[in-house]
Amino acid sequence: MNTIHPKQFRILAIAPVTRGFGFAVLEGRDTLINWGVKTVTGNKNAKSLEKVEELIAHYQPGVLVLEDASAKGSLRHPRIRRLVPQIIKLAKAGKVNVSLFSREQVMKVLIPDGQGTKHDLAGIVAGQFPEQLGSKLPPKRKAWMRERYQMNIFDAVGLALAFRWTT
Amino acid sequence: MTSPQLSNYLVSNRKRLALSQKEVAFLLGNKGGAKVSRYERFDREPSLETTLALEVIFQRSASELFGGLYQKIEQEVIERAKVLADQEKLNPRKRQIFTNIANKSLN
Repeated sequence: MNTIHPKQFRILAIAPVTRGFGFAVLEGRDTLINWGVKTVTGNKNAKSLEKVEELIAHYQPGVLVLEDASAKGSLRHPRIRRLVPQIIKLAKAGKVNVSLFSREQVMKVLIPDGQGTKHDLAGIVAGQFPEQLGSKLPPKRKAWMRERYQMNIFDAVGLALAFRWTT
Repeated sequence: MTSPQLSNYLVSNRKRLALSQKEVAFLLGNKGGAKVSRYERFDREPSLETTLALEVIFQRSASELFGGLYQKIEQEVIERAKVLADQEKLNPRKRQIFTNIANKSLN
């Protein structure tokens, strides 16, 4: 018999960063169905909103998960702090529920003792999806190196997992 | 809140294998990745030949690759089977077959 489920709970996670945003789409219990980085130039917030709108229209998620850029201790750039409420407004206009997680909350959910680096978190995320993300995990960054763009994917998948594991 | 199945899951399968659209296009016998992009954006449905080639590439059944489309077609067939099963003049064997289709039971 066919085992296709007629309806699935879909999570769209967005992790805005300097160059655009990382995104991840999780379906059902643990199926990662899309992931990547969208880069934007020019009016970054307006263009990011356009791309988020496209993702919402395409994936029709049950929930949109975002990093809480206004959380205590958040080091996000003021542009991103302005973007997050705009994304929330966009999602609510499309009747999509929104869930916010601070970086600290994501760490607490995904790392057993809640302590670790961004690379540790990416390692845990890659371990959850070795087939899809295993090859994308960059080597640990040295202090003088720039962050690799694909780290944004791990941030987004981390947000999606944090939501999944706490609901 | 649940979401309906996506029309197809080509992007996730392509990314799972770390293939580019251009590589998939080549495997399908196409020149560029434009057609693959249209399939992935649900702008175009592939032919049967292409669907079978996609099964070969991704090692997944067509009903898995095209979950949402499969579901839509399945529902339409079920509705038609119910119409046939409800016919008055029908031999019992055929009624059973149509009822099984409508109930998604094995024939």
